[in-house]
Amino acid sequence: MVTSDLLILCAAGMLVSAYLMVGQKALFTAIRLYSVQSLLLGIVAVTMAVSESRHELFATAAITVILKAIVIPWFLMRVIDRIGIHREIEPFLNVPASLLVCVGLTVVGYRVSTGFPVGARNVSHHLIGVALSMVLIGLFLMVTRKKAITQILALLTVENAVFLVAVGVTTGMPLVVELGIAFDVILAVLVLGILVHRIVDRFESMDVSRLSKLKG
Amino acid sequence: MSFVGVDGLRAVFAILQAAGMLAAAPLLKAVIKKMKARLQNRQGPPLLQVYYDLAKLLHKEPVRSETASWVYVAGPRVYFAAAIAATTLVPVLMATAPLEAAGGILLLVGTLALGRFALATAALDTGSAFGGMGASRDMTIAALAEPALMLGLFTSALAAGSLNLGGLVRSVLHNGVTFHPSDLLAFAGLFIIVIAETGRIPVDNPATHLELTMIHEAMVLEYAGPDLALVEWASAVKELLYLTLLADLFMPTGIGTSTAPGAIAVAFVAWAGKVFLLAVAVTVAESTNAKLRLFRVPELVSISLGLAFLALAIRFL
Amino acid sequence: MFRLLEIGLPVALVLRLTTVAVTLALARHTSWCRRVTLGGSIVASVVTVGVSIRVLASGIAIDGVLLRHVASAMVFGYVITPLSAWFLLVLGLVAVPVAAYSVGYFAHAIAPSRTAGVGIGLNVLLGAIEVVFSASDVIGFLFAWELMTLATAGLVATDHEARTSRRAAFLYLVMSHVGTGCLVVAFLILAAKSGSVSFSVLLAGPIVARPLRDGLFVLFALGFGVKAGMIPLHVWLPEAHPAAPSSISALMSAVLITTGVYGLVRVCAFGLGIPAVSWGFALMALGTLSAILGVLYALTQNDIKRLLAYSTIENAGIIVLGLGAAMTALGYARRDLATVAVVASLAHVLNHAVFKGLLFLGAGSVVMATGTRELERFGGLMRRMPWTGLFFLVGAMAIAGLPLLNGFVSEWLTFQALLLGFTSTSGLLRLNFPLSGALLALTSALAAACFVKAFGISFLALPRSSAATDAHEAPLVMLVPMASLAVLCVVLGFAPGLVLRMLSGVTTSLPGLTTSTNLVSSGLGLASPLPSFDHLVPPIFGVALVGSLMVSAVVAARTGLTIVRRAPTWGCGGELSAQTEYTATAFSKPLMMIFRAVYRPTQEVEALAEVSPYFPHEVRYRAQIEPTFERYVYGPLLRAVLRAADGMKGLQAGSLHAYLAYVLVLGVLLLLWLGGTS
Repeated sequence: MVTSDLLILCAAGMLVSAYLMVGQKALFTAIRLYSVQSLLLGIVAVTMAVSESRHELFATAAITVILKAIVIPWFLMRVIDRIGIHREIEPFLNVPASLLVCVGLTVVGYRVSTGFPVGARNVSHHLIGVALSMVLIGLFLMVTRKKAITQILALLTVENAVFLVAVGVTTGMPLVVELGIAFDVILAVLVLGILVHRIVDRFESMDVSRLSKLKG
Repeated sequence: MSFVGVDGLRAVFAILQAAGMLAAAPLLKAVIKKMKARLQNRQGPPLLQVYYDLAKLLHKEPVRSETASWVYVAGPRVYFAAAIAATTLVPVLMATAPLEAAGGILLLVGTLALGRFALATAALDTGSAFGGMGASRDMTIAALAEPALMLGLFTSALAAGSLNLGGLVRSVLHNGVTFHPSDLLAFAGLFIIVIAETGRIPVDNPATHLELTMIHEAMVLEYAGPDLALVEWASAVKELLYLTLLADLFMPTGIGTSTAPGAIAVAFVAWAGKVFLLAVAVTVAESTNAKLRLFRVPELVSISLGLAFLALAIRFL
Repeated sequence: MFRLLEIGLPVALVLRLTTVAVTLALARHTSWCRRVTLGGSIVASVVTVGVSIRVLASGIAIDGVLLRHVASAMVFGYVITPLSAWFLLVLGLVAVPVAAYSVGYFAHAIAPSRTAGVGIGLNVLLGAIEVVFSASDVIGFLFAWELMTLATAGLVATDHEARTSRRAAFLYLVMSHVGTGCLVVAFLILAAKSGSVSFSVLLAGPIVARPLRDGLFVLFALGFGVKAGMIPLHVWLPEAHPAAPSSISALMSAVLITTGVYGLVRVCAFGLGIPAVSWGFALMALGTLSAILGVLYALTQNDIKRLLAYSTIENAGIIVLGLGAAMTALGYARRDLATVAVVASLAHVLNHAVFKGLLFLGAGSVVMATGTRELERFGGLMRRMPWTGLFFLVGAMAIAGLPLLNGFVSEWLTFQALLLGFTSTSGLLRLNFPLSGALLALTSALAAACFVKAFGISFLALPRSSAATDAHEAPLVMLVPMASLAVLCVVLGFAPGLVLRMLSGVTTSLPGLTTSTNLVSSGLGLASPLPSFDHLVPPIFGVALVGSLMVSAVVAARTGLTIVRRAPTWGCGGELSAQTEYTATAFSKPLMMIFRAVYRPTQEVEALAEVSPYFPHEVRYRAQIEPTFERYVYGPLLRAVLRAADGMKGLQAGSLHAYLAYVLVLGVLLLLWLGGTS
């Protein structure tokens, strides 16, 4: 039972970090929250590896921690340093309202897991609930925030959520697929980093809503 | 000794029938010319004049256009050959066509189309506007006449239960000739088509050389000597063929059902009489009508189509 | 040897793939590339023909597996039924001469840098068509169908600098995809109802009930009708076929049409259970309409390839007419009538492929020699290109339905089917049959007029332009394929019984039909199913015609004078030149005036004068026929679609946040609807 408690604790921690990402405006902190989230994901992977003796999950955990908890946050912090913008500007929806919406999205996210019959509920249904909620919150972040960095972070949150389900609920993904996803993530971040530079060059601001000026 | 179902006797029969039609065809033309002349209060040329004309043409030097290729030379020959070959598919004196094993109505219509195609193509080879104009008008009228021709022939064929002319005649003889109203309508429709296909007034004037009024003559304007003789002769054969066809479809009484000399003689007299009566009808049609403008010919042909369709409907519905 | 033929189809496909690979490797060395790609295509086609003959001769289908994906357990199989074998035979009979012809044609007409591309496109197209005819499940079929469409579009756009080529390829793609969409929907419905994607289950019989079956028929007819060029889905054909290189156009007209026909036969006629009589009448009406309108439009074309394209629409109409008659007969459960009609339709597929291929190859030689496609610029080519002219003449006579050639045979069979249909059915609707017969006769006569024009204006009399004067004969490698197709036209016309014997394997394999060998008479000839109704034995007639020709030669030579005097053509005392010749427009003018209601021609005459209006120095004449379908059917359709698209532009706000919000809302809604207690 220790394992399941640990798992649920980590999942809850990930959800809390997502909430906190919604709730504050400093970009540095947001990135740090993301790296904490990834670290928790790594812990989930290690726990699953130990408790179910799936040794390939050690590799997964290593990739997760190195890539997502260390490398990507470092890269993003460098981008912010280069550009010199440290705070998010006023989002479309103010913070209290955003948090209320996040609560609602969590409820929706849990809807699937409440469909499980009572006897079959175990760790999995919590993990699914958390993961779906994080997906929806990530999407919501993307909709309401204007800075490109925050949007990158939201995308990465969504990716973390999917990973959580893959590792915690299913029998894991083939290593090839994981490597592929990792590669995708790296590329996405690199491209987005470059794009942020271009956006700033063009519009002298990271405000993504200015992209609508490009419409023909 | 039989080749694909045709034995030596049939082959001889075919040759004899073709030769006979070939010999008799110019006479038909002469008779029609004479009757027309008499109706116009003229004497008209002697009946054998047509033969003298053909002989004269055959003895002349062939003159051919400089621009023409072998197609120009082949045209009259194919036209002539198609006309002769078509005569072997039609029953004339006996209730069987010599080469009826080869095909029936569809093959007959196809053969005449072959001749027309050859002549029209050759007409374009001269490089003169007359040839092109004649070819264009002739193919137009032929195209318009085709559906009416087919419908009329089909009505008779379906009523008799065979598309094969020999079989058709035998079936009508067997069942007895009736004068169902559909037969009259079909006869009227087909008569108009025969006028159109043989190039008689009111569709075309066989004696004109004015460019506004020529159709068939424009196609053959350039031919001289033996080439022209072939074309003229073939036209006459076609005319005799059409009239014989009309006689077979609607009044086959008197056709010989055996090879006895008496039956053949009776059949010959019957055939000559029927063709003569139809020739009189053609003459009257020619003499009492004016030639139609080219763009009024479709109206005439559509009347024929309507008659043929009515015949079909009355008979079978 | 025969055992080897069992795996013939995969072998052919592998050969084609190898050829494509080698072509890519040799792309720089143009002449070797050309020879390899076309040679490989010929070998693969010969293998396919071998397989198809084996199936037709034995009457037993060959099946096998093309691809097996181990991880997902998906299997793409193939099955060559006698019906597929017939179509494969037609494909091979046309593909071999076309490829041989292309060896010479590509050297002159296609830029060296494009040869590899066109060769690859040709092989891919032929391979895709082979799979279409032999696919055994929906997915393989649709995949090959789509590949075929894309390969054709690529080939049509070979000359992509020209705006007309691009537009033609685009139009073809759009219409093909609309058709394929209909097919996908229909197949999905069938698969959902029957729970399988294999043709042996889907097309085994009536799976769905009445009203849905009619809807499926409409969808399939639309999807296959686009490819078959049925009116009103034909608008892409006159644009796409002329735009492709001539040997590819030959292949397109001859074979691509048959893929649509194959679909109609396999699915609509025999795959959905016994067809409803109304379907048969609908197809008969559409077929007749296609035939008449096709030939009417062909008559007024002055571009030789467009003329041939419209003529393809006409012949596709005749094929569909035969098929419609067959479906009506199946609906009335008349076996003999259905057999005759199916035989007529399938025989015309073969005959059309042969003579249309021949005509397009001839047209290709002419276009290559003169550099233009306009009929008004040809003329006098018979003297300069005697062999091409002769073969084109054979093709023109075949398509005009003249006896002793193959066009007459399939027309004869169609007439038999129509007349039998009339005698063996009852009620008012049976008038459909003789009416179609009369319109078929009209079509055939108009086609004869059209090809007198096409052959006469192109090859006869004086050259109308310097391009025609400078033309020279095509090389031997282009003449031999044309000769072989011309010989085939004559052989198929002389001995139609052979075709019927081959088709007996096909008819016995289809439900509701009987064997076609009782349609054979005297070994080589044809007979109608009703005894003593009609028969056709061309060899007898051939002998009669030859005999008559000899008589005519004798009669005309009786004079003893063998010297022929050549003199200028009579020009009313004036000089004749190319400008006094009859033009192509003039030739079809009477028919254009008579069928005014269909064409709605407009014309304007302008006389330009400098000094006085009584002495114009130039007269300009412009005549146009109205593009009825483009203007009144597709025009409003396009405008409605564009209006709807404009309306939807509001959704495209250009704001990233808006798009993301769409995703979020959709996600939430889906979770609310699908998640939870189920």
